[in-house]
Amino acid sequence: MLSFFAELVTRTDEDRRAFETHPVLLDAVAHGMNVERYRALLLELYHVVWHFNPVSAAAASRMSDAWMPIRHFLYEHMHEESGHELWVMNDLEAVGVAPEAVRAHVPSVHTLALNGYNYWAADRRHPCSVLGMLYALEVIASVYGGPFAAALRESLLLEGDRGVSFIGSHASLDTQHMAELRQILNQLAGEDALAAVVESARVNFHHFTRIVEAI
Amino acid sequence: MNTTPPAIGVSGLLGRPYKTLRLEWSSDLRLLRVRTCVRPIQCYSLAAMAELQQMLGDISANPGLVRHFVMSSDVPTVFNFGGDLALFVLLVRAGDIDSLKLYGKRCVDLVWWMENAANLGVHTTVLSQGDTLGGGLESVLPFHKVIFERSAQAGFPEVLFNLFPGMGAWDFTIRKAGFAVANEMILSGRLYSADELHYRRLVDVVVDDGQGELAVDKVVREIDPRHRGTLAALRAQRLAAPIRYESLLATVDLWAESALGLTDRDLRLMERLARAQARKAGGAEEGAVEEIKLMELESAWGERRARFDRRNLSNDRRVRS
Repeated sequence: MLSFFAELVTRTDEDRRAFETHPVLLDAVAHGMNVERYRALLLELYHVVWHFNPVSAAAASRMSDAWMPIRHFLYEHMHEESGHELWVMNDLEAVGVAPEAVRAHVPSVHTLALNGYNYWAADRRHPCSVLGMLYALEVIASVYGGPFAAALRESLLLEGDRGVSFIGSHASLDTQHMAELRQILNQLAGEDALAAVVESARVNFHHFTRIVEAI
Repeated sequence: MNTTPPAIGVSGLLGRPYKTLRLEWSSDLRLLRVRTCVRPIQCYSLAAMAELQQMLGDISANPGLVRHFVMSSDVPTVFNFGGDLALFVLLVRAGDIDSLKLYGKRCVDLVWWMENAANLGVHTTVLSQGDTLGGGLESVLPFHKVIFERSAQAGFPEVLFNLFPGMGAWDFTIRKAGFAVANEMILSGRLYSADELHYRRLVDVVVDDGQGELAVDKVVREIDPRHRGTLAALRAQRLAAPIRYESLLATVDLWAESALGLTDRDLRLMERLARAQARKAGGAEEGAVEEIKLMELESAWGERRARFDRRNLSNDRRVRS
């Protein structure tokens, strides 16, 4: 019998590949992007990262003691992710966007749809659906973050982590996160919880692809 | 696990709504022509392998229906890049050995079908017209007849990022070309031209670019009148030099364990290759093959540099003592 993590990887593989093989992303990973588009991407990313912990908190607050290990996992994860929206803000400042402009930015409909779905799923679908969001975002960061950061450094002539600290560092930070996430996902039981995680991962891959496509 | 009932007859075989395969049927030769198309990066993704397995299962479920099976790629200049590198990175970073083994087993099941095709009354031919890397090369070796167009290149680059090809490369290369060639190819990670592969007996026929389809037709029409005898001989050939399923699976287990030991540096090299694939998929002329050659060069330079540094270090020590 497949572990839940293996089942999640298999059942969402085409959604992951739809993200990976989207022409905009292929081009970004191969050649990087110009500074205007990178700024636009980071501005959207700021709002995704900003809502990451509030979504996790909303989900944790709805988990009974039947889900205690997952609730505690979320607490630790939130602690580690705390303040990461400021990393995005620093990167934006490094490429010429002032913090006031970042705060004033109105996210695209795709970012609103992604965040809106994640709050709704934690509230109305199943609190464990938050693990689907974590899975999709950690895959994007740990599998694609490294090559994308390398391409950005080349195309924008950035030195070290300047301007790519969020994307570059998450590529290595999330290595450990992926292993921890696998362990917690494999503890998950119940058909409705499993279905909610798969759905959430698919929706997150879908909306994230739309965000990248639109910039 | 696939629970879809097998297709019945030619219409059932051709009627599946495949996304990564294009099937054609020639009734005069009872020839099933399969073109693979995993766009934009032609590799063995989970979905592509599931479709291949489904199609091969359909052939097995209709004994005697297919006499000739021919496979090639619909993607210009690429036969197959092999494994899904992003999926490998994901599974390695997650430390998921079970999924790595499962992926390997799915690959082995495909080559195992090819290995046993003669028992099902099917003669198999493969045509490569471009880059055939890692798992892509492993997948062509069990075919009865391997045809390459002259500009196609192939090799097992896995050692460049501290891994080895784990889905049949050793077994099939040793059987076709001998132990020394398998050692040379797998441990060097270098790429070989079609002519070099022909010289090493891994490729049966090399033709000029654009002549591959004619070569396939020639092979099939030569085999067809002596189909029964050829398959009997090929079954005997497999008995004389058997490859065991258990050995293939044991190698997959070793491969998965090695993959879990990959370091961040190794994964970054794998990601470099994935970036090169993305460049080629985006229309660039240079892709994974050129990146592998660059890695070979860097690796060679690294060794020379290390030897140079070691020599300088020992000279320094001698001077100081």
